[in-house]
Amino acid sequence: MSRFKFTFAIPLAAALFLSSGCGKKDSSSPAGGGKTASQSSKNKDTYVHVTISDIDSLDPAWSYDTASHMVIENLYEFLVAYKGGSITELEPQVAEKVPSIENGLLSPDGRTYTFPIRKGIKFHKGGEVTPEDVRYSLIRFMLFDRAGGPSSLLLEPVTGLDSTRKDGKPLDAAYDKAAAAVTVEGDAVVLKLHKPFAPMLTVLASWSPIVSKEWAVAGAGWDGTKETWKAHNNPEKTAEAFYDQENGSGPFLLERWDKKTKEVVLTRFDDYWRGPAKLKRAHIKGVDEFQTRKLMLAAGDADSIYADYLQQPLLKNLPGVELIDDLPRIDMNPSIYFVFDIETKGNPNVGSGKLDGKGVPADFFADVNVRKAFAHSFDYEGFIRDVNRGKGTRAVSFIPKGLFGFNPEQAHYEYDIAKAESYFKKAHGGKLWQNGFKFTLAYNAGNQPREVIANMIKRAVESINPKFQIDTRPIQWSTYLDMSNASKLPMFIMGWAPDFPDPHNFAFPFLHSNGNYPRLQRYKNAEADKLVTAAMTETDAEKRRAMYYRLQQIAYEDVPSLYILNSVLYRTQRSWVKGYVYNPIHPDSPYSCPLYYLSKE
Amino acid sequence: MAKFILKRLAMLPLVLFGVTVLLFGLFNTLSPEMRASIYVKDPRQLAALDEVIRKYGLKDPFHKQYVRWIARVAKGDLGYSETAKMPVTEAIRSFFPATIELSVLAFIPIMVIGVWLGTLSAVYRDKWIDHFSRFVAITGYSLPSFVLGLLLLMVFYGMLKLFPPGRYSLASDLIINGGNYAAYTGMVTVDSLLNGRIGVFFDALKHLILPASSLTYITMALLVRITRSSMLEELGKDYVRTARAKGLPESVVINKHARRNAWIPVITIASILFVQLLGGVLITETVFAYPGIGRWVAQAAVQLDIPGVMGVALLTSTLFVLGNLVADILYAVVDPRIRFQ
Repeated sequence: MSRFKFTFAIPLAAALFLSSGCGKKDSSSPAGGGKTASQSSKNKDTYVHVTISDIDSLDPAWSYDTASHMVIENLYEFLVAYKGGSITELEPQVAEKVPSIENGLLSPDGRTYTFPIRKGIKFHKGGEVTPEDVRYSLIRFMLFDRAGGPSSLLLEPVTGLDSTRKDGKPLDAAYDKAAAAVTVEGDAVVLKLHKPFAPMLTVLASWSPIVSKEWAVAGAGWDGTKETWKAHNNPEKTAEAFYDQENGSGPFLLERWDKKTKEVVLTRFDDYWRGPAKLKRAHIKGVDEFQTRKLMLAAGDADSIYADYLQQPLLKNLPGVELIDDLPRIDMNPSIYFVFDIETKGNPNVGSGKLDGKGVPADFFADVNVRKAFAHSFDYEGFIRDVNRGKGTRAVSFIPKGLFGFNPEQAHYEYDIAKAESYFKKAHGGKLWQNGFKFTLAYNAGNQPREVIANMIKRAVESINPKFQIDTRPIQWSTYLDMSNASKLPMFIMGWAPDFPDPHNFAFPFLHSNGNYPRLQRYKNAEADKLVTAAMTETDAEKRRAMYYRLQQIAYEDVPSLYILNSVLYRTQRSWVKGYVYNPIHPDSPYSCPLYYLSKE
Repeated sequence: MAKFILKRLAMLPLVLFGVTVLLFGLFNTLSPEMRASIYVKDPRQLAALDEVIRKYGLKDPFHKQYVRWIARVAKGDLGYSETAKMPVTEAIRSFFPATIELSVLAFIPIMVIGVWLGTLSAVYRDKWIDHFSRFVAITGYSLPSFVLGLLLLMVFYGMLKLFPPGRYSLASDLIINGGNYAAYTGMVTVDSLLNGRIGVFFDALKHLILPASSLTYITMALLVRITRSSMLEELGKDYVRTARAKGLPESVVINKHARRNAWIPVITIASILFVQLLGGVLITETVFAYPGIGRWVAQAAVQLDIPGVMGVALLTSTLFVLGNLVADILYAVVDPRIRFQ
């Protein structure tokens, strides 16, 4: 198990140089600190992060977006956690030790993990974390299984099931398998996997945090029994108290989630078992307008802000502000997704819903010629050069460069309007070229690169035939998620941040029919499904690599989505912020991070 | 006077009826499926969209649908706003006080400076003050509000560190959300005084100054020009010449005689401007990250949050009707001939 893990993880770690000091710091302050050193922070014990995304849900079993998850990571704790900036080294958190074959807590066959549970960890609203809470948390995370949610991250390796439902109905076997796989033995929780799964501990370092069973039940949550689990399977977003309340054991507790101002306020938890955080409070505010965010940073009213490479020149000469640049990512952001079976009922994004020049039908993107035409209509290199200011390299598949299984020779699509035109002419038996089409290409409000992508596609496609019309429109993040979940966006732009650093975490969400994006896209390829599942448990590195190469070829042939960039990012913060540690695995990094380590001078 | 007001009030339901029919008619130009999506809170319910259409009678004749809708509106049920993540009535209740605060603070200088500058430019026609007021009006008209907003932010917040965006500072946030502070009206300036928190009052005022100034400058332009032209018309009339011939002081001629008669068009425009401010100032609230109706409806509009947009449209139309009523009453106050007609 250990060897298997290191086979894939070490080359990646080496390639990414992921340590706290790996990013290039570009402090805009005068050399030697000068003015900056003499500047002291406003509100010394309060940290303010100003961003563009609002949160979707605080339920750890529901949330599968970075904006929500980064708040959750500060409210709750996991069995194990990433150590500093490393994506391979783990440290114990709620568990007393990280299981390994050497310490006897991982069985030699790599299937049984024993987690001795730390004593004395308190929940925010009272009570101590018990092994039963841990068991409940893991099982709830798997059985909650909301459509398009994160449950499969645990469900699949633990039970062998990729969903708790068949034909929309909950499977009895799901509860039985989950309950049998997670058991309490004295002061420890034992997790028995269906098959060995190398990245299991890294999954547990980011997912299924520990919740209080007693509090959950009191808040109309699941009581943990077989009789009632189906009523809590795939529930509505706001059905349980977890949606906008919490009772975690993390270093911060939720003071309020102000849906009106899109602001989340966290307060230090003074009884935190590792000792209270240095910061007393943290505000995460939503401000869509970049200039306002920039001015707030310059005035010291924000300690860090969301900013992309388009905005970087405007931030470079701000006194007291530092840019930590060239932070390598292991994500696939941004990517463009086609929906194979668009939900046309009550959908304002598809016009007439027919291929009559005034809309698009449900199967508009089901024709591979349309997808290939769009694939040739995007100027990938131009985007990297002009929008990303030359930062990053061209992505050729859904596996990021540097990660195991990446094929540097993979065939990919280039910007070629002539080829795009020829595919458009072939599409839908020539009817598309003759009648034209119209649909809305939406992006999440405030995300400038995605706005530019939408407009680049619009301009390129509309230049091919005057009958082609694409409206571009910004939508608030949470609504954008809802619309894409409902397959109501014919084509959408999103990014994939890794749940754990393994190619499976890219193959499953990009190509498996139950994966995050194919579910929304209503895309299914039987061969891809089989290969994704097989590659997950394959222990022979070369065989596994071959499987991922084949999957990348399938993605090239089927074109379910377009991959643009192997990215790097930068963080913008006041130089008085101390303790920032970059780890690409943290949600929404480098913009946000675990607040526990931060302080202000 | 009371009879005049009652007559006007009696017409109010009729006007509101017309407005709601118009709004609902516009809403009904959307397909039943699209209107059904209002009732869909979760993507999985989309499969049952036909059931929703049947349940809510979205294919029923217009008049039946209208009666059902207006009955719900009368009960205060305007649907659920996905953008605000709360029912529309609750969203209006929580966003509107911030907008009222901003509108009132902007409206006072709009009236005082607008009328004063308009009067002066009429009295000193083609003198430097007239040119100055023309410059103010033209720039106010032509400057996009986001440019002016950002400019003010850069100078007064970015450079001078005087007036921050948002609604209040972190220090006030601790007091307001600290548990010992009652939100009587939702307006921070008023509530802070009622709670005896002078510091919070001045802090809220500090946050209001830039958006209010931006609105004042942009909105005042029309009022300045209307006041000027109305005053010029009055100043050219015989009664003004007579008043001057009688030897009345110029200040009495202008303030008591001419300006009183020039009020009618000014009141009309002022009432429209005030209601426009109350209806939400989309760009200004967005630029200044000010959580009012405008910022909400801007987000609701781009996200096709129909209940949100309908709710604000209904609120704005009602305000317009009420604004017109107030204007009518004010006409009668400044010109008694109107009530007798």
